[in-house]
Parts: sequence; C-alpha cells; structure tokens
Amino acid sequence: MQLDWTTFILEILNFLVLIWILQRFLYRPVLDLLVARQQKIGEQSAQAQAMRDEAETLRRQYESRLADWRQECENSRRQLTEELALLKTQEMANIKQALAGEEEKMQVRNATLLAAREAELLRSATGQAYDEAAAMLKRLASKELTERIAGLFLEDLAALPENERGALSKAGKALPENASMTVVSAHPLDPTLRAAIETGLSAAAGKTLQAAFTEDPMLIAGLCAIVGECQLHVNLADELAFFKRQTDHAR
Amino acid sequence: MNHSELGAEIVWQIGPFGITSTVVTTWGIMLVFTLLALLGHLTLRAAPGRLQTAIEAVLIAIEGALTEVLPPTAVRQVLPFVGTLWLFVLAANLTGLIPGLHAPTRDLSATAALAVLVFLASHWYGIRGRGLKNHLRHYTEPSVILLPFHIISEITRTLALAIRLFGNMMSLEMAALLVLLIAGFLVPVPLLMLHVIEAVVQAYIFGMLALIYIAGALEPGESETNSPSSEEKS
Repeated sequence: MQLDWTTFILEILNFLVLIWILQRFLYRPVLDLLVARQQKIGEQSAQAQAMRDEAETLRRQYESRLADWRQECENSRRQLTEELALLKTQEMANIKQALAGEEEKMQVRNATLLAAREAELLRSATGQAYDEAAAMLKRLASKELTERIAGLFLEDLAALPENERGALSKAGKALPENASMTVVSAHPLDPTLRAAIETGLSAAAGKTLQAAFTEDPMLIAGLCAIVGECQLHVNLADELAFFKRQTDHAR
Repeated sequence: MNHSELGAEIVWQIGPFGITSTVVTTWGIMLVFTLLALLGHLTLRAAPGRLQTAIEAVLIAIEGALTEVLPPTAVRQVLPFVGTLWLFVLAANLTGLIPGLHAPTRDLSATAALAVLVFLASHWYGIRGRGLKNHLRHYTEPSVILLPFHIISEITRTLALAIRLFGNMMSLEMAALLVLLIAGFLVPVPLLMLHVIEAVVQAYIFGMLALIYIAGALEPGESETNSPSSEEKS
C-alpha cells in the first residue's frame, strides 16, 4: 500500500481523456439522438393526439348527425303512421259506404225481383182467371144470352149520355152516302131484333143508316156495332178483355 | 505472494517515471471503451440495433439515477463525469477476473486519483452551479466555527472514498488469490461470483458517493435561497 505519483497523475490524465472520448463519441451523440427521438415521439404523440381529437370531434359530429337522422326517421315514421291511419280510416269509411250502397242496391234489386216475381205471379193468375172465366162464359154463351145482351144494348143506347151520343152522331154523319154501319154478333139475330138495333143506332146517330149484320163466335155472347169511326162493344169477349186490362193497369 | 501480486509492478521505465501495470490495464480499458464508443458512434441510427440499444439502455439508466439526485439543469453537465466514473470503476473492478490481469482499483494510486478527481469535480460543479462566493460560503454555514470541520470532512471523505474502493478490491483479490493457492481449481468459483457482485456494488457505491458529493455542492444553502441573487437566478 503505497502511492505512486506517476501512476496517480497518469490515472488522472487517463480518466480525463476517457471522459473526453466518451463525451465526444458516446454520451453527446447518443443523448442528442435520444433527445431528438424523444422530441420526434413527442411530436408524433402531439400529432396523434391532434388526430385523436379530430377523430373525437368527427365521432361526435357523426353521433350528432346519427341522432338527428334517427330523430328525423322517427318523425317521418310517426308521420307516415299517422297518414296511414288516416288513409286507412278514409278507406274503411269508403268501403263501408260502398258496402252500404251495394247493400242498398241489393235490397232494391231484391225488391225489384220480388215485385217482378209478384207481378209475374199476378199476371199468371190473372191470365189463368181470364182463361177460366172465358171458358166458363163460353159454356154459358147462347143465342138467348146474345139476344138478352142486345136488349140491354138497346136500353143503354136509348139512355146514352149526351157527349157519347154526340160522338156517335158525329161518326154517323161522317159516313158517306149509301155507306152502312156494321153489326157483328156472336149468334145470329132474328129480324125483329135486327130492325130494333138498326133503328136504335139510327136514332142515336141522328141519321138513318143501313146495317150489315155478321156473326163472330169469338165475341162469345153479345154484339159489336161499328158506326164509322165509332165502335160500340156489348159482348162478353170485350168485357173479359176490359177486366183483364183493368187488372193489368191496377198492377 | 510476491510484490507483483500484492501491488502494481512496473512494466516500462521511461526515465524516472515507471509505467505500472495499473496504468497499462487502464489504457487497455480505455482502448476497449474507445473502440466501443467509436463503434457505437459509427453505427448510430434512428432505428437502434442491439449494441445501440444496450448503450442507450445504460445511458438512460445513468441519466435516470442522476435525475433523481440532481437538479434537472445539471444532469447533462454532470453525466459525463459520473457516467464515466461508474463505467470505468465497474470495468476496472471486473478486470481482476481476467486471468493474468489485476484490477486497477486495487492500486491505491488509481483510487486516490479517482477520489481526488471526485473532490475536484464536486468543487468544479459547485462553483459552476452556484458561483464561487456562494460555494465558499457553504463552508461557513451555519457558523464560521464549523469551517475547519467542513475542511476536515472534505479531506476525510476523499480519503475514505479512495481507501474504501482500494481496500475492498485489494482484499477481495487477495482472498481470491489465497483461496486459489490453498484450495483446488474449482473451489474459488463461488468467490469469483462474490467478486463480480462486489465489483458491481463497489462501482455503484463509488459513483453514487461521487454523485451525492456533487449534488451536495450543487444544492443551495439556506442563506443562498434567501438571498436576492438566488432569486434573480431562479
């Protein structure tokens, strides 16, 4: 354990030289590099932070827009729902109205069909009644009935109302000279009755007229007198037709 | 146990100056550090390789240790001295493990040189950091009566610094040598492991004590903190 001054001084110098070498080639460049790297990392970190802030801002904007869009969608959906409900109500009302109209039409149609059916049935019944009455009257028809009806004809002709008498007179006067009136009977008339009819008609027409007598079994019983344009029907066939027409008119 | 095994032998004699093995070993350590520094300097890249990563890790660790003790502005100033002290003492301590070589730190001349450098560095950084007046005033606080004790403290702690490292490394190498002489070849292996641990611990203690002394010199005193000049500086 001794102190060698040469070694002591050389060690001091060696150490100072080593400090210089390491400072020159190791500490300063490496530390500068570390500082530069730290600065770069700091800049990158700041840049990353800025990007993160920007991204955060964009995210907030996006969320805000998304919320607005959702609100808008919700409003649109609600509005659409309301419109659909209104449209549905209107369409339901229209359908109900159409159904009511159809039902009313159906009722009218049914009523019409029923009325037509009833009319058809009535017409059929009337026709059947007419046919049965005609058949029964044909069985009752006879020369005596025709003469009895002719007698009634003469009575009615004598008591003819003034306006009908005027019409008959007008028709008789309208006939040309030598023209005759026509008397159609269901059965042949005896000469006395023929003369009485010819006289009665001439009296009613206010002019002496010759009558031409013919027979038509279709009249069933009674007669039909034709004076010009005026016709006088006193027979069962016409009476039946008259009642049938009255029944049709009544329907 | 001859002179060369206990102390440093003279390798070269240049006139009256004898170049001891301690100096030669120190040159070897310096050469290794220089080559490493040059290699690291030449291969310095933004994307670090393995060597650069290791160098950066060591420097970051040293800078971290300094940051805990020193004011932030003084870290970059003190780092070359304390960092070199750590690295050199560690390398010098571990050199004793290489067969045929002796640790330079087992030589009192080397440890005394390092202790004197620490003594000078603490004053150098103290004067740079606080100014000569404030630095010298520090020895008269809290009373002028304490000035001799401060001076004695400075001397004794420097001596302690030198002798602690020297004593530990010397005793360690002697113990290893004795065990190697007495026992077989494999028996000293645990002792060598202890040598490694001791080398690292002693390097750490030496560097940390130097750092604390420098930090103490840089630390402002009570009167300094209240003086207007310190306020102007801050």
